[in-house]
Parts: sequence; C-alpha cells; structure tokens
Amino acid sequence: MRVPLKWLDEFVQPGVDASELARRLTLAGLEVEKIDIVGDGWDKVFTAHVNNVERHPDADRLVLADVEAGEHRLTVVTGAPNIAAGQKVVLALAGARLIDGHSDSGEYKTLKPGKIRGITSEGMVCSEKELGMSDEHEGILVLPHDAPVGLPLQQYLGDTVLEFEITPNLAHDFSVLGIAREVGALYHKPLSEPARIDLAGIPAASEELVTIEAPELCARYVAAVINGITIGPSPEWMARRLQQAGVRSINNVVDVTNYVMLEYGQPLHAFDYDRLQGNRIVVRRAEDGEMLETLDHVERTLDSGMLVIADAVRSIALAGVMGGTDTEVSDHTTTVLLEGANFDMKSVRRTSRLLKLRSDASARFERGVDPNLAGTGIARALELFQEVCQGAEIVAVSDVYPAPAQPRSLTMPFDRIEWLIGKAFPKSEVERVLTDLDFQPVISGNQLTVTIPTYRQDVSIPEDIVEEVGRVLGYDQVPATLPVGQTVPVVRDPNYQLQTRLRQVLTASGLSEAVTYITASGTMLSSFATEDNLVGVLTPRPLDSLLKLVNPLNAERPYLRNTLLPALLESVAANLRHQRRVGLFELARVYLPNGRNELPIEVQTLGIVLAGQRDELDRFASNESIDFYDLKGIVDAALHQVGVTGVTYEPTEAPGLHPGRAARILAGDRVIGIIGELHPETAATFGIEAIRVAAGEIDAEALVELSQPQKQAISAPRFLPVEQDLAVVVAESSPAADVEAALRNGAGPLLTGIVLFDEFRGPQIGEENKSLAYRLTFTSPGRALTDDDLIKVRGKIERTLKQVGGRLRV
Amino acid sequence: MRVAFSTDCEHDVSSFTEQLEQLQAETIADISRILTAAELTELEREVLGGKGKLTTLMRQLGSLSAKERPEAGRESNRVKQEITTLFTERQAELQGIELTSRLESERIDVTLPGREPQIGVIHPVFQMIEELSDIFALMGFQTVFGREVESGYYNFDQLNIPADHPARDVWDTFLVESDGAEIVLRTHTSPMQARVMEQTSPPVRVIVPGRAYRYEAQDASHEWMFHQLEGLAVDEHITLADLKGVLQELARQLFGPRRKIRFRCDFFPFVEPGVDFAVDCAICDGAGCRVCKHSGWLEMGGAGMVHRRVLEAVGYDADKYSGFAFGLGIERMVMMRQGVDDVRAFAGNDLRFLRQFAARAAGARSVAA
Repeated sequence: MRVPLKWLDEFVQPGVDASELARRLTLAGLEVEKIDIVGDGWDKVFTAHVNNVERHPDADRLVLADVEAGEHRLTVVTGAPNIAAGQKVVLALAGARLIDGHSDSGEYKTLKPGKIRGITSEGMVCSEKELGMSDEHEGILVLPHDAPVGLPLQQYLGDTVLEFEITPNLAHDFSVLGIAREVGALYHKPLSEPARIDLAGIPAASEELVTIEAPELCARYVAAVINGITIGPSPEWMARRLQQAGVRSINNVVDVTNYVMLEYGQPLHAFDYDRLQGNRIVVRRAEDGEMLETLDHVERTLDSGMLVIADAVRSIALAGVMGGTDTEVSDHTTTVLLEGANFDMKSVRRTSRLLKLRSDASARFERGVDPNLAGTGIARALELFQEVCQGAEIVAVSDVYPAPAQPRSLTMPFDRIEWLIGKAFPKSEVERVLTDLDFQPVISGNQLTVTIPTYRQDVSIPEDIVEEVGRVLGYDQVPATLPVGQTVPVVRDPNYQLQTRLRQVLTASGLSEAVTYITASGTMLSSFATEDNLVGVLTPRPLDSLLKLVNPLNAERPYLRNTLLPALLESVAANLRHQRRVGLFELARVYLPNGRNELPIEVQTLGIVLAGQRDELDRFASNESIDFYDLKGIVDAALHQVGVTGVTYEPTEAPGLHPGRAARILAGDRVIGIIGELHPETAATFGIEAIRVAAGEIDAEALVELSQPQKQAISAPRFLPVEQDLAVVVAESSPAADVEAALRNGAGPLLTGIVLFDEFRGPQIGEENKSLAYRLTFTSPGRALTDDDLIKVRGKIERTLKQVGGRLRV
Repeated sequence: MRVAFSTDCEHDVSSFTEQLEQLQAETIADISRILTAAELTELEREVLGGKGKLTTLMRQLGSLSAKERPEAGRESNRVKQEITTLFTERQAELQGIELTSRLESERIDVTLPGREPQIGVIHPVFQMIEELSDIFALMGFQTVFGREVESGYYNFDQLNIPADHPARDVWDTFLVESDGAEIVLRTHTSPMQARVMEQTSPPVRVIVPGRAYRYEAQDASHEWMFHQLEGLAVDEHITLADLKGVLQELARQLFGPRRKIRFRCDFFPFVEPGVDFAVDCAICDGAGCRVCKHSGWLEMGGAGMVHRRVLEAVGYDADKYSGFAFGLGIERMVMMRQGVDDVRAFAGNDLRFLRQFAARAAGARSVAA
C-alpha cells in the first residue's frame, strides 16, 4: 500500500522526517518496505508555459514549440500530438535525467540539446513516462491552467510516498487514515478527519431499493443515488494523488470511489443507475452456473458460495471483488447508484481465490472491514462528489444494517502485561497508549478494562492488548533475560546422533554431503524400475502409488521420491563435468505411501554415489576408476563406526544396478541396504560417462536400531600375537565370505584378526580355482602361544575348509 | 698353528714380545688407514677373531717357560685391550661419519605436496544445524525432528491459522494428492509445536531443525525447499524478555560477542505478541552498509509469545503457562555469516561451492563482506 505523505499530512503531523517516520512505523508493525521520493530525480525540470506552436518546416509530424519557464525561454522540437499554445507543461532543460519514453528498458538518460531535421531542440516537453510517473507516453503531461510557471517540478508535483507491506491482521491500517491513526498514537498527536456530508440530512430511499437476501454474507448495504452527473476527468489534485497511491485515474466518479477506498479503507462501487433493471439492488448468493462478465471483460461462471449484487433480473457485480460490465459507469452515465457495503471476509476470499480475481476491494474485504465504516465511506464520497462533479445532486440514501456492530469490552489483569513481556510499564503510559489507540482504557487496581473499537477486529484476547502496549511503547525497552525455572533434562535424539556420526565418518572417507530436492519425475524414478513395474531401490513401490503434488513447481516432477539415488546421480553428473572424482552422500527422507488419505511413512535414508577416479590427481594417484569395493569399504567402515556389526552381503539383482555387481546388505534376514555399481544404461540415462559408478541406499533408521552400545573395553594383551599366512584354494564360484567363515570357525577363539591380502589364479591350482591368501593373527590373553597351538589350529582349519570345498595350498 | 710351532723345542720370550709389538704396531696402522665400518669389522675379525692374528699369537703363551709366561701374558692382555678399544672407538667414529653422509644423501624437497587424505565436507546447512543444536543444548533445549509431509491440521489449524483465513494464504503451500484429506508439505517447522506439546506437559524446551517447503518461484533469494529451525519454550514464567535473551545469546554465539537483538512488531497467527528479530550488522556495527542495505540490521527470523489458542489447543492452561516460539532460516544464517548471495547454491551440490565450507573456524565469526 502506497501512502503519499502530503495526503497523510492532512490528518496528522508527527513532526519528523520521512525516514524516521518509516522507522518508527516499521518497528510498530507497519512495515515500510520502501520510501519512494516522487520527483527525486527531477533536476532541471520546471513547470512551463507554451507561448506558441509552429509546424516544423521539414517534418509533418513535428512541431516547434516556444516554451517559457521563468528565466528560461527556448525552442523545443517535439512530436507530441497534444501540445498546444497556452498550455502549462513540464519543460526539461539540457542536463536533466529522463527515462527514454520510446523504450521499455526504464533506463535514465541525460538530455542533450540536438538537431532534429535541421532545427536545434534546446530542451524537451515531457510525458509522464519520461518523468517516471507512469507508463503514459502518447502525449506530454499537461498541467492544470492554474499551475505556476517556472517552478521546479519537484516542488509542484513531488511527494514522498511510503510503501507499506500490511500484514493480514491489520485491516484497519489498510488506508491513509488508518496509518494516520497509528502515527497519532506513536507520536501522541491529534488526528483530524476529512469533511463528510451528514447522511441524516438526505431523504431515505424507498425500502424497495435495496434487499439483502443473504444477510450472513452481507452485514450492511448503504446505497446512495446521485443524479445530474457529468462524467469527465477528475481534478488534477485527485488524479495525481491516486496516481501516487498507485491507482489509475479513470474518471471523476470512479476516482471518487477509489479515493475514499484509499483514504478510509472502505471499498465503494458506482453503478450506472439507469442500467439497473427494476432500479433496485438485490444482495444474494449466485446461482450455480450463473454467468457474469466482470469489469476486466472476462466472463465468469459463479457458484452458490459466491455473493453477488443483482438487480431485479440478473447479477451485476461480484460482491466485494469486482463490478460487472453491464452496469459500468460510462461517458453517458448521468445517474449513479453508489454502493458502500460490508461483505463477509471468508466469502470474498473464497470467491477471489476460486476465480483467481484479486482487486483493491477484495484485498480489503478479505482482511475484514468494519461494517460501521460503510456509512462513513458513503458520507465522504458524497462530499467529494459535490466537489468534483459539477451539478451532482444527491437524491436519496438507503442504509440496510440489520445488526449494527457494537464495540466489545475486554477485562484483564493489568500485570498480565509484565507477566508476558517481562517489563513493568507505568500505568500512566499504558493508559496513554491505549487512549491514543481509541481503546478507552479504565484501570482499577490490577484490573484493566478496554473498549475495543469495532474497526479493531484483530483484537480479542488480553495478549492482543499486551501487544498494542508493547509495540507502541517499543520493544527496545524489553530487557534481555534468560529463562529461569525447572531445568529440563535434555535427551539426545539417537537418530540425530547417528546422523551426526555418519556425517563425520563419511566425510572422513572422502565423501561430501549433498542436499537434493525431494520431488522426482516418473522418468527419473523409472531408471530404477523392476520388471513388475515397481520403482525405487531399497523400497520399491508402484509409481502410481507414490505421493504426488497437486501443484508441483515443475510439472514434470510431481512425485515425492522413494529413493534418493536419482537426484544424487543428477548432482554427480553435474559435478563430473569439472571434477576427476565425485563422492556424494545425502541423509534425507524417502516418502512411502500409506494410503491415499494418510500421511506417508517417512524413512530417514542414506544415499551414496561414487564416480570417477579413485584418487585425486597428484604424484601418488593410482589412475584407477572407483568400483564396487570402494563403496563397500566405505559402507563397512561407516557401519563399524556407528556400532553396527555382523551384517552380511549377498549378491542381488536390483533394478538399475549392474547384474553382477550388486549386493544386499543383511542384518540377519532383514535387508537394510543395497549397494552396487550402476548398470551402464542407467548411468547413461543420467548423462554419466564414467566407466563405473557405485551407488547405494541404506535405511538409516534400521542402523539406529542395530547400533550396539559400546562393549566393555579390555587392556591390550601382554603377549605378542603370532601371525600365520595361509593360502586357500577353492572353486572360483565359492564366495570369499564362506571361506573366511570357515577359517574363523576352524581357528577358534585364539583368532584375533584375519585379513585377505592376495588373490591368485593360475594353471598350478587348476583353471576353475582361485587361491585366497589370508594372514591370521592369534593372540592369547594369558600365555605365549606355541607351535603346538598353531599345529592344532591348522588341523581344525583344514577340516572346516573341506566343508566349503577348500584346501590349504602348500 | 700349534703344529707349526711344535717343531721348535722352546720359544724364546723376546721373540714373542717382538711379535706382539709388531702386531700391535701393524694393527694400529691398519686401523687408522681403514675408512669404512665394514672394512674395520673385517680387520677386527682378522686380528681379534677366533682365528685372528692376536688370538693365534696368544696361544703361544703356553709354550713359554713358566718364568716368562706371567709377564708375557700381562703384556699380551694389555695389547689386546688397547687394540679392542681402538677398534671400538674407530668403529663409532666411522659409523658416525657414514650416518651423516647417508642423511646428507637423503635430503628431500619439503615443499613438494604431501600424501593428502581425501576428506569430504559436511553440507553447510548441516554444519549450521549442528552448531545451532550445540548452542541451544547449552541453554537446555533438546533437538527433535518432525515429519515433512504434514496434515493441514498440524501445519495450520493447530497453529491458529483456520481455513478460509487470509493468514493461510501467506504460506504458499504445496498440496499432496489425496481423496479429501488435507495433506501438505510442511510450510514451516512449526507443526512440531503442537506435536511436541501434545506428547509432554510443561516445562518444554525444544528446537526443531528440518526441511520446509513453500510454493514460490526460485530466484537468488527464494527457494522452494529450505531448512528452518523452530524453537519452543513453555513454562510458568516465560516472558518476551526471555525470548530476547535467548535470541541475543544465539546472535552472539553466531556473529560475535558484541551483537544486539532488535524486536519489531510483526504478525504470525500462532504468536501474540509477535515480532521479527534482527541482529545489528557485524560488518558496519549497525552504522549501515551495503550488506545490511544501510539499515544497520539484518533480519534473522520471526518469533513471539505462543498464542493462547495454540496453548489451549493442546490442553495447556494459557493463564498459568506462557511460552515463546521462534523460527529462523538455516540457509539464511549461513548466507548472513558467510556472505553467500544465492540461496540456490545450497541444493546445487556443486563441489566447488561445498568445499569452501571445509574449514570450520573455532568460535563465533562475523558476517563476510
């Protein structure tokens, strides 16, 4: 909302400059987003008189104007179609900065004298657009006849405009007078109100004129009939003010309605009375499917939840939102029915939203307008009509107001203010503030009683009064203290602890953390689709069962994902364009459907993707691509570091992954993760050319459940360990995990470490075999181990290896 | 050897002594001539070893007469001891020289790069969450998490934002398809206020970090997915001054010990009174500069005293208990402190951006210019 300070000045004089006023209002809850100084750049621009206009000798469309502004008298070449001798205009001298009227860039350019078709133009007569006042650039700005000549334009037309962002609770501040009232309270200054006609002195219209058929949606309807109207332009002062407030000047009648709306916050509407069939107004709900063409020339289809203004036959306006074209005031209008009404805020909001139609009126009604303001608005408008419509005659007024709004009263403990704010304000100050805000406070002992003005629909509970006091007296008076009272034991959330630990371990493993968007396209998700059309990696679901946004920002990505991998792969692909190796992980939710009307199951999930070279380039780099085992190593380390042990890996065929290089991670029978290399086709889908891409997804919540508390620590053994290297020959198809299990089983409790350190294949051991070399470490807590011990163990190992088809290689 | 000498009947002591002296003189000369530890070891073996020259010579002692033997024995032991000492000293000397020379030959260029471990970066958003969680833990706040897909009931109704109220429009909401139920992506972390209070009775002190979503077009300062941190404290004596104190502590931990907090009246349906809070700009100390858009203040978030209707909706007695709540944008905190000028960078995951957050200085830092 734009409030010109000259307008505000008619009602209250705070005696401070614009920036101080803006600061104070902002702190009090009326946020000034911008201080717009109209005419700030009008240097070397003056009001001027056109002495004479001649045709340009060499151009049909140009004229030579002799223009005078005080000491400056010069010849201007112009193509303005509306220039005429005797006019008051705006003259810019060389050096003035103006907007290029013929371009849309809005850039300022410095005016230089120049020859146009052989004749030197020493200055320029300006359009509104060139002055930055509006987009009007067809003709020059013509000033009123009584405008002084030779005055800097800044002095004549300039003003300072405060631009407010009005929060939805502050209906009563959505007007110049509303702001004036606030200023009065903040600076303790008296408020004056504009002149209004006394409605009591006007003949009452017939009861037939207005009928409210839907009183639940229309608390009051005031109608005034005015005849003898001549439609014409508004006086310059009114048009200018509207413009500075951001409203286009249309004609004298419409301008009056807008002027009152801006001034008081009461939307008004003018109908062409002669076009009302039956010369009457009916306020009713629309019929389902009823049509109405609104002023923006759009044919609207209405429903019975919408309130309309109708005449005897058809609807003629959308109540509180917009008028209809049929009864619009036109150049031929001579009699006007002026509406000042009060419409239900919810109904207006619903209508406005359903029809996607917003207006200055709906913005006000949606916030809730005081019904008592409808009469005030009409009274002010009638006053203005007498001023701006020569010959206008008020015929009659009708005021249908079945249940006039009454002020409510509220009683509360006075010390509630200190109780809530933590600062005791003196009673006298509280009393002054509440009085200035029109609350008529009465303080008796610890009891504070206020009368809430009907326009303060935002005030209903004691805390609202506390806020009024606090915001006017200033929150800078509130001290900074720390809460006292009972200490609450802080429970550390195990999920959060696990996440924090995972972040530490994974970054220490060379991965960086990503944050990706939660929405996905069907195509992205289908990169991980099973044959039976389930999408996803660890938690596959039918695509059409996934949660879907009604209003996605990107229409192609409506699904709430059930896998983190597609988005991570997009990030990896983007990074591979400039990185040699990329390792990303994300800890985020996946959303699993739980029924159409139920909230989904959200599972905290860890996604990891690795691609590119194993090492960053340096003197020691291996120049090898990452592969499955890089990922597995990181996962194993991470699981170990969060206290999850005893998981096993089992080959699996997962959608989107390499059929021979993918594994399920099992804790007992429970699948807690899937890791693997990406199928080359999947990688290509995401534009990744790297030979191998390792990716995996792990259920982070399962890790919390599986995480074991730290075991009791023991001292380091006194005796040195004994190491023994064993090479095991087994069939190529035997999983290494089975061999290791057999070794562990055979080695028994003395075994304290086992490492696979070499693999060998060759004709010596048979083509279908492989040899796995292990170093076993044995330690006894109580004694030094002997050769005898190792011989016994070796015998057992030979037997357990036999069970998996293995033998020791000698 | 013994065989060799056995041909003579009896040895003459003067001959033995001469031999001994000659051997000593030769050995001393040899020791001083030798330049490597290995050669010296070899010489030592040749002289003092089991079959060495001195050892062999000393075996002849037995063939001397009983009268001559003690004198010759003492003499030969003296020589042996002297030679041994010489060997030991010379050995140490040569080893020292050799070590020095080896170390000299092993000189490297210490300015060549080392073998650097590959260490990744925790996302700046989560670094900030971790930091905030630590700061608030010290003030007794517990960190909890809430669901991201929420019901309209918790996202709006329980927060005093009734359906058909214009306040509901302020939150541009993503809706999830359903058969009638109102399911939304939470527009703020505030739904956890009611969820937490329903589960527990006062006193309550929690913070809720997490993702939130708003239906709005992206640009440098708007992002549809972002992270928020909600704070809630409810007890018998909680005041707006306490809120100011807690937020001031937060500002000082994040931006430096001299920072101040400013409250400005603002409207949020779930608090009354409602404020937004700003910290004075650390760059210009509140004097006004480009970073704070010449206002001297940087807005941090919204806050206020928990609205009576929010307390009553979870069954708390609003005349007995009061509380404060606040919310701040995590990305915004990082942007303010580290001068990031485009919020879209946070979900961009460009490693060139993320790696800048590898270094985490200790203590409070000021806003980057």
